[in-house]
Amino acid sequence: MTRNGISRLAIAAFAVAASASLAWGQAEPLRIGAINPYSGPLALYGDEVSRGYQLAIDEANAKGGVLGRKIELLRGDASSPPQGIATVEKMASQDKVEVFVGTYISAVSNAASDSALRYSKVYWDTNALAGDLTERGLPNFVRSGPYADSFAEVSVAAAKDVLAPALNKDIKTLTIWIEHEDSIFGTSIAELQKKLIEKLGGKVVGMGAHNFRAIDLTDSILRAKAAAPDLWMETGYVPDGSLLLRTMRDQGFKPPAIMMVATGDTFETLDALGKEYLEGIAVVGYPRPDQTEAYGPGAAAYLAAYKEKYNRDPIAPQSMTAYAGMQMLLEAIKAAGSTNMNELRAAAAKMDKPLKSYATGFGVKFDPKFQNTRAFPTLVQWQSGKVVTVYPKDAAQPDVKLVNVPRK
Amino acid sequence: MTTSTLALAGTAATRSKSISLATLVGRYAGLLLLACVPLGLMWNDPYWLNILAYAYLFAALACAWNIIGGFGGQFSLGHGVFFAIGAYSVARLYLDLGMTPWLAVFPAAALATLVALLISWPTFRLRGPFFAIATMAINEACFALANYTDRLTGGPRGILIPFRAGLWNMIFIERWKYALLTFGFMSIVVLITALLRRSRLGHYLLAVREDEDSARSAGVDVLRVKLLGMALSAALTGIGGGIFAMYVRVLDPPTLFALPDIGVKFALISLIGGIGTIMGPVVGALLIVPVENFLRGTLGGAIPGGHLIVLGIILVCAALFLKRGIVGEFTGAVRRIRNRKRS
Amino acid sequence: METFLNILISGILLGGIYSLVSIGLNLIFGVVRIINFAQGEFVMLAMYATYFCTTYLGINPYLALFVVAPLMFVFGLAVQRTVLQPLQNEPMMQIFATFGLLILFENSMLALTRGEARSLSGSYSSVLIDVFGLKVSGVRLVVFIVVSGIALALMLFLQRTMPGKAIRAVIQDRQAARLMGVNVERTYLLTFGLGSALAGVAGALLAPIYTLSPYIGGNFILAAFAVVVLGGLGSVPGAYLGGLIVGLIESFSGYYVDPALKQAIWFIVFVAALIIRPSGLMGQVGAEEVGLREQT
Repeated sequence: MTRNGISRLAIAAFAVAASASLAWGQAEPLRIGAINPYSGPLALYGDEVSRGYQLAIDEANAKGGVLGRKIELLRGDASSPPQGIATVEKMASQDKVEVFVGTYISAVSNAASDSALRYSKVYWDTNALAGDLTERGLPNFVRSGPYADSFAEVSVAAAKDVLAPALNKDIKTLTIWIEHEDSIFGTSIAELQKKLIEKLGGKVVGMGAHNFRAIDLTDSILRAKAAAPDLWMETGYVPDGSLLLRTMRDQGFKPPAIMMVATGDTFETLDALGKEYLEGIAVVGYPRPDQTEAYGPGAAAYLAAYKEKYNRDPIAPQSMTAYAGMQMLLEAIKAAGSTNMNELRAAAAKMDKPLKSYATGFGVKFDPKFQNTRAFPTLVQWQSGKVVTVYPKDAAQPDVKLVNVPRK
Repeated sequence: MTTSTLALAGTAATRSKSISLATLVGRYAGLLLLACVPLGLMWNDPYWLNILAYAYLFAALACAWNIIGGFGGQFSLGHGVFFAIGAYSVARLYLDLGMTPWLAVFPAAALATLVALLISWPTFRLRGPFFAIATMAINEACFALANYTDRLTGGPRGILIPFRAGLWNMIFIERWKYALLTFGFMSIVVLITALLRRSRLGHYLLAVREDEDSARSAGVDVLRVKLLGMALSAALTGIGGGIFAMYVRVLDPPTLFALPDIGVKFALISLIGGIGTIMGPVVGALLIVPVENFLRGTLGGAIPGGHLIVLGIILVCAALFLKRGIVGEFTGAVRRIRNRKRS
Repeated sequence: METFLNILISGILLGGIYSLVSIGLNLIFGVVRIINFAQGEFVMLAMYATYFCTTYLGINPYLALFVVAPLMFVFGLAVQRTVLQPLQNEPMMQIFATFGLLILFENSMLALTRGEARSLSGSYSSVLIDVFGLKVSGVRLVVFIVVSGIALALMLFLQRTMPGKAIRAVIQDRQAARLMGVNVERTYLLTFGLGSALAGVAGALLAPIYTLSPYIGGNFILAAFAVVVLGGLGSVPGAYLGGLIVGLIESFSGYYVDPALKQAIWFIVFVAALIIRPSGLMGQVGAEEVGLREQT
């Protein structure tokens, strides 16, 4: 090619690039794929979590989107690993999804993120709990929210700092029964709880595993009752949690303190047990919108936005964690200037915000395995039929006090 | 009833013996080539390749089930156990002993066969719905046990096979390689079932299905026939489980033992395609797997459970209007046309 | 000793629940000889219907029973007539069809409720009654009493009334019954309707005990099948006793062995019992010999 030709080509290329940047406003929307169970027993949570995503996206779009592009959320239903693979394949190849978020079931997250890697797409997990998701060291995986260990840690810390003193004991003299559902979710949390408690010199008087679909849990309750613990800690889902509490009531098992982990803080449990029975039951759960503004900036605004868009209170606190996680993702995309896997992960690695930066009270700082080290659940308590944040101290509203511990 | 059963077996024997082995292989090779067409068309679309790979694998698994469920008439809902044994065994042999999955499928199949024989020997005295329920109960018991024991199965955590591509590992980057692998496996299983059909064991299985008591009085060792059929079925299912393990690489008890996704699905695919036919399970799988995925892709996010409502309606309608399965209805229609031409 | 008594009573009451869910299935299974995968879903639908009656119409769940059970009877008739009767001669397709119905019902409820778990309001579930010095859950005691009553009533129905005898005839030998002038198709309709109505009763009585979810049917169905087979095909006392036995095994193995293994344990016991005595506790010996391929 002649020198003239080359320079003409260069000018043409430049012109094309310039006009493309001028057409920024009519650019392709940025599609984010949300992989969750939207059918099956956990459909409610898949849907709830996606509402959180949508609220964060609506906020960002109101401010012009990200990288000048409008953000679009696509839902991909997956309740099992093979479904996760198929859904990611469809979204990455046919639906032009650029980034994935998810995912309420850890096994699905595992397979789906693996699939996403084939397309060099980032899998930004906001809610899955299994430890091995980050342990794997997959080059496209990031977890913005708390995980199983965080729940175990906060539950033990709360037992030590909040419940033990309320019972006039310290962690070394507090007897604890650990109950859990027998899939990976309950088992991993329970195992770490046991380890942490024993490290602190506490006493685990027994551990019980149950199937969350069981028709009857009298045996689990009778076993715990026989051990007569001060604190009964349970990790599970809603159906088994409700059945356990009802059975406790029927069997006259009245431990001085009850703590549920990860579920038990929604209206479903209130409907099942009634507010008198629930009074004083503590739950380690995802952070809630009633937190102080100092601890969770934007929490009240989030609550208002949710109510306006969906005409009701949030069904479960998982949505606010999803909301914060999505915000972090959008910030990372902005910092990276693209959704390219390596660039986005590199930008995420540089993110550094202290705790109490988001509505959930999270900060952001990823460890080498890309687990957010500044994301923790909080302890709430049922008080007069409402769920109230009680711990950490600065998350709780100033007039909040612990009630009904020891249980009457 | 005795005469009709033996006559049936007899006609089948004469009919199939009149076809030479070469023609048989040729006919099925042709049909398999037809089943390969989608693979050829979509060879560079990873979404469809994934679906096809899965469809071929489940076609093979349904064919394997069909050996005892269709030919033998023993409606087993517990094949998930053999599937899981295959998956866990291959995973463990690969991860702990570094064995290549290409070889590991054989001990896995052997173990699945052993367990199948142990389970079946007492349960085969049950008939029909009783057998089905017993096998379902065994599936659930194994689910609970797999969840409980940590050492072999990884308990609730399951086994995760890290991604390390390589032919030796049976782990591929490109999806078309997986699709080719499962297609190959399916072809092998189809040819085995075709050969079985015209073998003596095949005829005995059919006789047992038609009328167990008459078969027994005609001198057939019913228990032995059933056990052989089950052994073959379980071995092939175990191999399929091993391939699944290297494909999905996330193996936990819910993924492997869930009845609607695994155990019942093998039967469902065979029923829709045409139970007791050879290509029926293939047709069933190539229909159900893509349809299910398509429904989930389009309806899955919008209405919770929407795609499954449609699937449920499809299943009920298929049961009502395709009573002998697709292949069954097809061959029936062909026969009717031929008879009409003759008269 | 008190613990032992407690577990015993809890096992009996749990057995009552199993019996209640299984008694309808037993009838259907005995007569129509199909594996009705959707039976658990009938219970689930009845539970939601009861919830609707109590929450939106303000009816006591124990009174709602008299609304829900007839509704389920009609529903059962409809299902038998439209889906199962056309498939009378294709037993495997019938199983297939009921599985399709299972998926349909489960997910229709999911779509309607968005998966939110609901519970009956009111304090029924917290009532405790004194039995031998132990506090026993009132709602479970009611289940036990009602199912015992139903078992008795059903036995009388089958022994003394014409439709009942027709049902027993069909259970024993469909062909012979037809030859004796029994309208087999109508018997099927009646049986399926009755079985569904019993599922309706189960749903109404269980609604105060459990948190409702579209998937709760699946939690019951396997146990129900085991009870039916264990008790003996078509035998009402068999189903009743079978339920009690399963409840007791589950209760005792859950406490003395491990709650995580109790399901596996009674499954294994069930399979073992099936192998030793395939006709079940009180079924007719040889009834299990009639496989899926039925005499027409």
